[in-house]
Amino acid sequence: MFEFFFKYPLPVFRKGSLVFLASWPLWSLALAIAAAAGALAWLNWRRRAAAGSPVRAGQALTIWLLQSSLAVLLLLLLWQPALSLSTLAPQQNIVAVVLDGSRSMDLADDGSPRRERMLSLLRGGLLASLERRFQVRLFQLDGGLTRLASLDDLKPGAPATRIGAGLQRLLDESATLPLGAVILLSDGADNTGGIGLPAITALRQHRVPIHTIGFGSTAIVHDVELSGLDLPPRMLAGSRVEAVAAIRQSGFSGQSARLTVRKDGAVLAQSNVVLGPEGKTQTERILFNAGPAGVSNIDVSLAPLPGESNSANNRLTRAVFIDGSPRRILYVEGEPRWEFKFLRRAVEDDKSLQIVSMLRTTQNKIYRQGVSNPKELEDGFPSKVEDLFDYQAIILGSVEAGYFTTTQRDLIREFVDRRGGGLLFLGGRFALADGGYQAEPFPELLPVELPRRTGTFVREPAYAALTPAGRESLICRIEDDPRANVERWKKLPYLANYQDAGTPKPGALLLASMTAGGAKLPLLVTENYGRGRTAVFATAGSWRWQMLQPLADMSHETFWRQLLRWLSGLTPSHVAASTPEPIVQDAATVELRADVRDATYLPAADAQVEARLSQGGSTLPPVPLRPDPRQPGVYTGSASVPQPGSYAAEIVATRSNTELGRSVATFRREDGTAENFHQEQNRDLLDQLASQTGGRYFRPNDTGQLPSEISLSSAGISQHETRDLWNMPAFLLLALLLRSTEWLLRRRWGFV
Amino acid sequence: MAKLVSDTMHLRRVLFAAVASSALLASLYAYQKPFRVYPGVEYTNFPLPPDYQERTEWVFARLIYPAVVGYPRWTMDYPRSDRHLSQALRRLTRISVRSVEQPVSLDDGDDVYNWPWLYGVEVGYWNLTDDQCRKMRDFLLRGGFFMCDDFHGTREWEIFTNSMRRVFPDRPIVEIPNDDPIFHVIYDLDSRYQVPGAQFLETGRTYEHDGFEPRWRGIYDDKGRIMVAICHNMDLGDSWEHADNPKYPEKYSALGFRIAANYVVYAMTH
Repeated sequence: MFEFFFKYPLPVFRKGSLVFLASWPLWSLALAIAAAAGALAWLNWRRRAAAGSPVRAGQALTIWLLQSSLAVLLLLLLWQPALSLSTLAPQQNIVAVVLDGSRSMDLADDGSPRRERMLSLLRGGLLASLERRFQVRLFQLDGGLTRLASLDDLKPGAPATRIGAGLQRLLDESATLPLGAVILLSDGADNTGGIGLPAITALRQHRVPIHTIGFGSTAIVHDVELSGLDLPPRMLAGSRVEAVAAIRQSGFSGQSARLTVRKDGAVLAQSNVVLGPEGKTQTERILFNAGPAGVSNIDVSLAPLPGESNSANNRLTRAVFIDGSPRRILYVEGEPRWEFKFLRRAVEDDKSLQIVSMLRTTQNKIYRQGVSNPKELEDGFPSKVEDLFDYQAIILGSVEAGYFTTTQRDLIREFVDRRGGGLLFLGGRFALADGGYQAEPFPELLPVELPRRTGTFVREPAYAALTPAGRESLICRIEDDPRANVERWKKLPYLANYQDAGTPKPGALLLASMTAGGAKLPLLVTENYGRGRTAVFATAGSWRWQMLQPLADMSHETFWRQLLRWLSGLTPSHVAASTPEPIVQDAATVELRADVRDATYLPAADAQVEARLSQGGSTLPPVPLRPDPRQPGVYTGSASVPQPGSYAAEIVATRSNTELGRSVATFRREDGTAENFHQEQNRDLLDQLASQTGGRYFRPNDTGQLPSEISLSSAGISQHETRDLWNMPAFLLLALLLRSTEWLLRRRWGFV
Repeated sequence: MAKLVSDTMHLRRVLFAAVASSALLASLYAYQKPFRVYPGVEYTNFPLPPDYQERTEWVFARLIYPAVVGYPRWTMDYPRSDRHLSQALRRLTRISVRSVEQPVSLDDGDDVYNWPWLYGVEVGYWNLTDDQCRKMRDFLLRGGFFMCDDFHGTREWEIFTNSMRRVFPDRPIVEIPNDDPIFHVIYDLDSRYQVPGAQFLETGRTYEHDGFEPRWRGIYDDKGRIMVAICHNMDLGDSWEHADNPKYPEKYSALGFRIAANYVVYAMTH
């Protein structure tokens, strides 16, 4: 239809620029238009005066506008408008036709396999049409890029697709050839998770338009997919861990599916999930116990449902490191009180936590518990970096801020900021505002703005309640089921006392509040600070949860264990090892990174760092890591991972033959599994790729204009041409419309 | 019809009042009971200190129990010894201590769970009911601490154990070794001696009946922590009560206070 009125297809207008072919200058066109409009105005005025009939001003103006528009149109045509554009020279340019050969192209979501429809489209005339205008080269794209002699050479079923890398290689290798365009026929499934901005920018630099033809349904079809799994790569032995599973489905709304967590094959936890609305990603959380220390495979799976089109995307596996070394927590308490006793008791059965406490029993005596040797804390709170940084977390109970020297206060700040430790402030008569914690550096460490008054600690009952953030937090999860957990918190006995901790800072997380004395006050507030984290628990009366509930009730123990695991579990050691992603997809190398700190947790830029990889029982040769010149203390390197499976990379840092520390990073190499996920057409990726490179996205049944559109390119060997517009049917129709409208109006108003 | 509506509304109001009252009672039931005074066998109208209403962390909780015979023996030395000990703990430790005691009954709902440190005097005459034994066991296993004192000789021991064996049929009563933290948490108390009651002032004997040797005994939990500290053949209560008596030897009160300070701090740390 567009072409009927405008003579050329829309892309010609998009690519071309408007020119006037008449030899007269453009200013003369403007002058002619002004003169014509003026003459028509004068004629109309004369005619109105001579007619003697009362013609209204609005009617005269309308007639004049219609006449002037027609005059402008005719004058424009006299100046011979045309489109100027570059087109590819016939048979002198190459067009690369890139065919997706991955396994996902075998899916038959629109009646027949995507690959068959792709080949049918090409054999049905598109390829011949292209060959009439260009030299066509065929390529297969999967994990790599392969030149094909003919369509028959396509080898389907490849386990991976790397669109960005494949196209980049094609364009790099064709840099000296007259490549006019690239046509990518694909479902857009990319195992690297998409094409980032840097990759698209690199493709754009070649100035070759990439046209994309998308295959497959744009929505998931009659399937349940475990589309994501969020699991911490490190966890404490015996700790409760939360796996966050992302689930998408189509055709199973309202049905129930069984979600299972397994560790090395053994079932750890199960729950029933009611599947949500079509096509929407729903998040499900499931708790499990990490169990004993070591490197393990944790897999989360959804039991296949009857009639599911693809059950291979119902399971995700992660390699995790379960840390068996206990977290040492220094608890400083300024007075004997029940909270101290019951807090210690709550975590004493948790092998991953070890509380080392110093309690001021009298003015001059400190009672130590949990020390590893008689010398530990002998002189009170540590004053040396190496002594304090030996702990992973600190709890400050009812102890005045003035109890600490300036050096010790600075050390506490460094402990959180540089060491990455956790710091918990408890309520008490010598704590928070009543303990003088407005003194530096505590205001910046605290996740709350303290009240500017004393008398904030009150020995009156208070009731705890979860906030929306607390309902989501693992710290506050006493019951596995989130709804039951909220109810459980409502039934907790009262707290023996409370403290007004002020207001949470912007960016802090209020996990629990309490109702006390007719007011609602923050109870548990957390915040990240530097490399570490801080929290306030504004009471000293949670021991009532233990004494006022049945002996078998574990809510008090569970809460404290989870709070202290959060506080101490994320504290890094001297070496923090990591990989960019938990899964290496269809690749034989992994990038490793280590953040290395010296004894005082300053970046160690002169360390020798090596990674020792192991898979199962076998060990691979050690790989040296090189210092990153941009980030002191950071070491990076690539290691070869020859086989699919789970790997543990133990990274060891030494300096002058003295070990600084070691850490374990875990990851998996998986081959061919990514093609089972996200199997619907990735329309967004194909759209973005085309629009960003000057090409266009096509549906398979809408490719009739593709060959001619490809011609409108200046990428290869091109020729310049102009296309007349004066004989466009639209102009004729417009002229008729203007003239007939004028005539009809004159008749209606009676001054023909 | 109007009467039916009126009756229904009345019924609703009554139901609402009943539910609200129940909720209020239930919440009050769980709260600590307020301070209360009982007539003692030795003291009545003992003056109250000005700060007796102050809310504190630790309170001398005195166990109210039924006796095998005679007068309410649980009030022996009450409240003088309790308040003397409270004063001493304020002076000797950093504990927030209430100046007055709190008599606590095991029959008083869940109130006993609000007082994790509990003292029983003259337990050689107590006779706990089965319900009280169950409550006491639960109190101790949840984390409570019970110190008992002022009972002497074989006969009173047997009466004491008659009830205590019903509290813990499966846990032995053992001698507390000298190296147990309870004897070192503040003061090192390796050298202990028999602390006599006030009868010493008249008889000059440090023992009563056939309780010649002081026994420092206890019942431990599964983690090796003392739940019940049993002071047999001694009268620490009198040593606190008579701390301001010039005739009562200072050395007995001194040891009595130190023992109590250690036991209290132990109860708040283990």
